[in-house]
Order: sequence, then structure tokens, then C-alpha cells
Amino acid sequence: METQATQRQRVAEPYGFIHRLEKYINKLSFWLNCIAGAGLIGMLLLVVADIIGIKLFRSPIPGAIETVAFLGVVVIGFAVAYTQVLHGHIRVDFIVMKFPPKFAAIIDVLMLIMGMSLFVILTWYSFEYAQVIRASGEVSMTQRIPFYPFVYGMAFCFGVTFLVLLVEFIKSLIRIGTVWNR
Amino acid sequence: MEPITIGLIGIAVLIVIFLLGLPVGFAMALVGFVGFCLVVTPSAALSLLPREFFETFSSYSLSVIPMFVFMGSIAFVSGMSGRLFNAAYILFGRMRGGLAMASIAATAGFSAICGSTSATAAAMGKVAIPEMNRYGYNRGFAAGCIAAAGGLGILIPPSTIFIIYGILVQESIGKLFISGVVPGILLALVFIGTVFIMCRINPNLGPAGGETTWRQKIMGLTGVIEMLIIFGLVLGGLFAGIFSPTQAGAAGATAAIIIGLVRRQLPFSAFWAAIKDTLQITAMIMIVVGGAMVFGKFMAVSQIPMFISNFIGELPISPMGVMGLIILMYILAGCFMDSLALIMLTIPILFPLVTKMGFDPIWFGVIIVMVTNIGVITPPVGINVFVIKGVVPDVPIASIFKGTLPFLAGMILVTALILIFPQIATWLPSFASY
Repeated sequence: METQATQRQRVAEPYGFIHRLEKYINKLSFWLNCIAGAGLIGMLLLVVADIIGIKLFRSPIPGAIETVAFLGVVVIGFAVAYTQVLHGHIRVDFIVMKFPPKFAAIIDVLMLIMGMSLFVILTWYSFEYAQVIRASGEVSMTQRIPFYPFVYGMAFCFGVTFLVLLVEFIKSLIRIGTVWNR
Repeated sequence: MEPITIGLIGIAVLIVIFLLGLPVGFAMALVGFVGFCLVVTPSAALSLLPREFFETFSSYSLSVIPMFVFMGSIAFVSGMSGRLFNAAYILFGRMRGGLAMASIAATAGFSAICGSTSATAAAMGKVAIPEMNRYGYNRGFAAGCIAAAGGLGILIPPSTIFIIYGILVQESIGKLFISGVVPGILLALVFIGTVFIMCRINPNLGPAGGETTWRQKIMGLTGVIEMLIIFGLVLGGLFAGIFSPTQAGAAGATAAIIIGLVRRQLPFSAFWAAIKDTLQITAMIMIVVGGAMVFGKFMAVSQIPMFISNFIGELPISPMGVMGLIILMYILAGCFMDSLALIMLTIPILFPLVTKMGFDPIWFGVIIVMVTNIGVITPPVGINVFVIKGVVPDVPIASIFKGTLPFLAGMILVTALILIFPQIATWLPSFASY
């Protein structure tokens, strides 16, 4: 016969898996955010070095503008997932907050499905876009830096954002179950 | 189905999913994508979506945003808001309502290094409201004063809203920044005047503060000097055409870091906090921009902007009457929507109409920022009021909204003045070279 403890363990097992998954994905998002931070410092240093080069030595850093633009992908793309972890993407929530809990939970799930759909398409087609650019051999004008690694990077980060949303989705499904059983 | 019908349905769906809580940038991208699928072809939409996001993320002109956000974050974590408040306190502190006046003056100063309204409100709220409470200020009045003054953050340059507007309508960001200077100072003076009158009528709202020593006076001055150095470097550089906006932001951020290090107010933990803050704000803004770019493409192919421009253009209303309607729409919509999202959604649709009627794009930008400022303190989604509520959790939200009312009147007055005398906004940028 199943003891109470094993029963509890059996019920808690999938939740434990979700918590572990959440922990790993949040950690991955955090590290991507750290890369974005390095990109930000790099961008600042590059622009300042370029200013000094132009104003003091009359020689700008070759390809500074295009490198800043590429660093933009790192600064922004790599920070998107962690911003979602922190729920930092602006949304209007004052209406949903006034809904009855059951209805609000359902709306929450529907909105997460929409968000996930967007990021699935974004991830998939960003990878395809990267492949197309790679095949075409597109490079920047001055430094001849290839575009495609940055598009792959962006696609990967969109994929991680999808995973963050997926965890939120599973958690809100669990929440629906809890609200319903109440 | 006609493209215009699809466009109108798209706008309706977007508003519904906005209000149901899908993040603004996600909603715009999704609706824009589906709309583009329907009006053009699914394969065109599938190639548009990643391309627009990549082009947004890798846009050099948009790299100005992380630079200015970083500058504001460094200024905040290294305690510049507190030092500015101390400086302003020396000037106004002993007057009745003087602490509130000092808070507004300091907010105006902090706005010169921070480009966001809610960040400005949060930074000054944390410094000024506890001081006002200590001297027995009416709590709703004190909180409302800072919530309203936070709006100076996007009017006095740098300003994220001016950057976004400038990129959307392809106007010089430098000129837009400079156009906010005179209206910003005017609004700050009107706010200070409002405090003065309110405290004359009801002295209990804001009793006078204590005296300051000579040592405090001299120390206080340094708070102004560091702000002036950063502001002078950024705006002076832009005004004279020495810096591009991105370079001006980077120069300002570097100056803020150097000042923080020299003052020993920038430990690594604070520096890292500023980086994290910058990344999250930038990612949030850029996802909205990317989404708006996709949505804008959908609007363009559905011919909605042209349809609205022709429809309103044929109405028997004078251009000023149409402008009045546009402003009214912004104020009403601003009560419910975030300002960035509202601008992203409406500018691509309305801007062709505005230029067709012969209005100056720079002047319209200032008007948009003014009405946006009204939106940040009006219920139910007055973001600054919620930010201040976070700073003073014990003050009821209704009291803060009530506290902002006199300042709302001031904002309406200044908006009306800019409408009647456009030179308030357009005079200074006419000298700018960038």
C-alpha cells in the first residue's frame, strides 16, 4: 500500500521537475544577460575610444559604427530572456487583476500561448534567416564581419525566451488546477 | 477581405490583447505578423518577422538608447539624485513649501541626466519624500508632487520618448532633445509656482524646512556642478554638432562613471546594478520597438495611415481642431496605456496626417511628450503614481492621484501655451547644427 509520504512524493514529482527546469532556464537566461552586460561595456568603450580617436588623433576606429551595431544585437538579444524572467516586458495588467481568479488564470494561459507562438516562429525563422545570410556570405562593409553568427545568437536567445515562457505556461496550468480545486 | 478591413480588425485585436495582458511588444509583433500574412503572403511575413527584429537590434541609431539609459542608471546608483536634492534644498528649503520646490528643481536637474519619467520619479521619490515627511508635509501632496515632476524626465533631455519619436518620424534626435529644454524649464517653473500658491493657500501642506550651515551650502553646490558637467557635455556636444546622439550618450555615461568613481560612490555592486537595470530597460524598449516595426509594416500594407489621413483631411475641421482631437485622444488613451506603447502604436498611423496638415514635426514631438506626461499621472494606469506608491507604500493610491491634480493643471497650462506659442518648442532647436 502506498504510504502518505510516497503519495505526496508522487504528486510533487512533476512540480519538482518544473522547479528544476525553471532553475536551469533562469540560470541560462542569467548567463546570457551577463554576456549582454559585457556587450554593453564593450559598446561603451568602443564608442568612447572612437570619440577619442576622432577628436584627439583625427583617426576614427575603423568599422566602429558597424561593430557598435553588432554589439547592439548582443546587448539587446541576450538580455531579452532574462527580462522575461523578471517580468520586465511592459504589459497592461490592471484589467486582468480585476478579473475573478479562475477567469484571470485562463486569460493568463491564453496570453502565454500567444507569446510562445510568437517566440517559436521567431526562433525557427531567425535560424532560417541566419542560414540564408550564411549562404549568401553577407559581411559588414569595413571590417568584413559576417552577419550570420549574430543572427544565430539572436535566434538562440529567442529560443531561450520561448523556454522561459514555456515554464510560465506550465506553472499557470498548475495554477488553473489549484484555482479550480479550491 | 479588403486590406483596410484587415487593418482595422488588426488594430481592434491588438487593443484587446493589450488589455488582456500580453506584453506590448509581443502583441504588436504577433498582430503585425498575422496581419502581414493575410494582406501579403505568409512566406513574406515569415521572412519579415526575424529581419525586422534583427534590423532593430543591430541599428546604430537605436544604440543611443542603451547609452542614455546607462547614463541615467549610473547617475542613480552613484547617488546623484540625493546630491541634487541637497543643492536645491539650500535654495528653497527655508520657504514655506520649500522642500517641495527643492524636490521639483532637483527633479529638473536629474532629468538632465536621466531620460525616463518613471526612473526620475523613483530616484527623486526615494530621496525627497522621506525628507518632506520628516518636516510634516501633507503626504499625498508630497507624493503627488514627485509623481508629476517625474514627467520632466522625458521632457528635459535626454529623453527616451524623444529618441523613439525621432527614429519613428526620421527627425534629428539632437534637435528634438534641444526642443525640450525651454518647455522643460517652463514646466518646472510652473510646478514650483503651483507649490508656492498651494502652500500660501494652505500652509499645512508644506511647512518650512530647517536652516543650512555654510558647510552644507558649499557641499551642496558640488551636486549641481557634476550635473552641469554631464548635461553640458551631452547637450553642448549635440548642440554644437560635435557628437552624434550615441556618442553623446556614451560620453555622458563615461562622465557619470568617472564622477561616481572620483566621489567613491560607485562600488562594483552599484555598477553591476546599473548594468542590469540598463539591460532590462533596453531589452524591454527594443522588444516594443521591434514589435512596432513589424506592426508598422502591417499598417503600411493595409493602407490605414493613408485612409485615416484622407478621412480626417476631408472633415470640415480646421487643422488646429484636428490637433485638438489628436491631443484629446492621446490624453484619453494615455490613461489606459503605457506611453511608449501608445507612441509606437499611434505615431506611424497619425504622423502622415500631422505633416499633411503642415505642423512642425519637432513641435509635434514636444506636444506628444507633454500629453504623455499627463498620461503618467492619470488613473487608472498612471505609471508614476504606482512608482511613487512603491516608494511610500503607506500612502493610499487615491491620495497620490489627488496630490497630482494641481500639477496636472500646470501640465495642461504649459501644453496650451506650447499649442498657442509653438516658438516655446521650436526657437532653441533652430540654432542647433545637429
